[in-house]
Amino acid sequence: MTDRVDDSPAKVSDRKSVQIDGRRLRGERTKQVIIEAYLALLRENPRIPTASRIAERAGYSVRSIFERFADLHALRIAATDYSLTLGNTQAPIRHADGDRPTRLKSQVETRAQTCERWLPLWRALNANQGDSAELKLRIKVARDMIRQRLEVMYEPELSTLPEAARKKTMIALELLTDYESWGRMRELHGLTTEESCSVWRQAIDDLLPATPSASQ
Amino acid sequence: MQYDVSAPPPGKPGRVDGRRLRSERTKQLIIEAFLALLREDQQMPTAAQIAERAGYSVRSIFERFPDLIALRVAATDYSLAQAAALAPARHIDGDRQTRIRSQILTRANTCERGIALWRVLLAVQDESEELRVRVRVARDRTVDRLNLMYKPELSTLSELRRRDLLIALEALTDMESWARMRELYGLSFDEACAVWIHAVDRLLPPTPAAA
Repeated sequence: MTDRVDDSPAKVSDRKSVQIDGRRLRGERTKQVIIEAYLALLRENPRIPTASRIAERAGYSVRSIFERFADLHALRIAATDYSLTLGNTQAPIRHADGDRPTRLKSQVETRAQTCERWLPLWRALNANQGDSAELKLRIKVARDMIRQRLEVMYEPELSTLPEAARKKTMIALELLTDYESWGRMRELHGLTTEESCSVWRQAIDDLLPATPSASQ
Repeated sequence: MQYDVSAPPPGKPGRVDGRRLRSERTKQLIIEAFLALLREDQQMPTAAQIAERAGYSVRSIFERFPDLIALRVAATDYSLAQAAALAPARHIDGDRQTRIRSQILTRANTCERGIALWRVLLAVQDESEELRVRVRVARDRTVDRLNLMYKPELSTLSELRRRDLLIALEALTDMESWARMRELYGLSFDEACAVWIHAVDRLLPPTPAAA
């Protein structure tokens, strides 16, 4: 009995599809390794790494990078998108229906973890955004996500405020819990993670109005 | 007639003083050109750009500053001195609302004037210990001012709670916080001040009766 290759058009198409999918998967994997190498270098030094350093860290050739990204700017955009997605996945909204202390603790701890993980990249992104409208847009998206999170977590309290006071409180909350605010507590004031969280919890608690009785 | 050789010859002090004065004036013009370019472009200017703006040659710059870092340090000192002169503490004995308004208005003006230099300082501070010290001095002055203006309220707190509140107030009224309100949220000067006034009032504990 001999194995015969089924050369019917349907089977040939299936084999081609598997080959293309495999190639595409490898291509995507290579892209991801390059992005991760780029991000690792940025964490070590906020200056934009050169193509040869990224290639060396990723274990590919410089040519491999430019086969997958039109230029270094395209790589920066892809790395930023990757970071935003990953950051969002690592910080799901929790305890949004909890009482005030539970929501405060949950939001502050999640935000603190995000700042601790992503502060070096955030600094690099801001320092190197230059005139890029695409990078500026992503910084704006990241800030919008932070604001949306604050609105979800503190909706019971914010809902009691007139529009003007709500806007002022929201802006103050965002300014207070900025990446650099976290960075200063940790680096300049030498606070531990828990001490820094405590500063934020207390300040947010003071900034927010009283919780309506239905949400306590 | 004999000259006293231990004293400078007559007429010389005037010449030396005049030369020194002109040189100081040139230094100041170079610093002002550097700061003006920073405000306009929010980017570190080159020696050629500074020279062109100041109306001197590039060589003139390096005759007065050994390198561009020394010029940045001198410009920072100049700005810190200017900020201190333009922002004296006022109404420190006023009631709570007067003190909050006064502190916020002064801080807002300082931020409005100083944000361009501040951003550059933060970006390049790793190049020089002298610049790092000045960033620290600027931050310390902000905290000192908060301490002074909100002494009645802060005096009611434990040491730990007082430290934490000062950290929160400093974060809230940071230069970049001001810039975000103006650039990102598009708030007017008065609207941005209103956000700070509202937030500082919420963050401070009740004012003791005596104050």
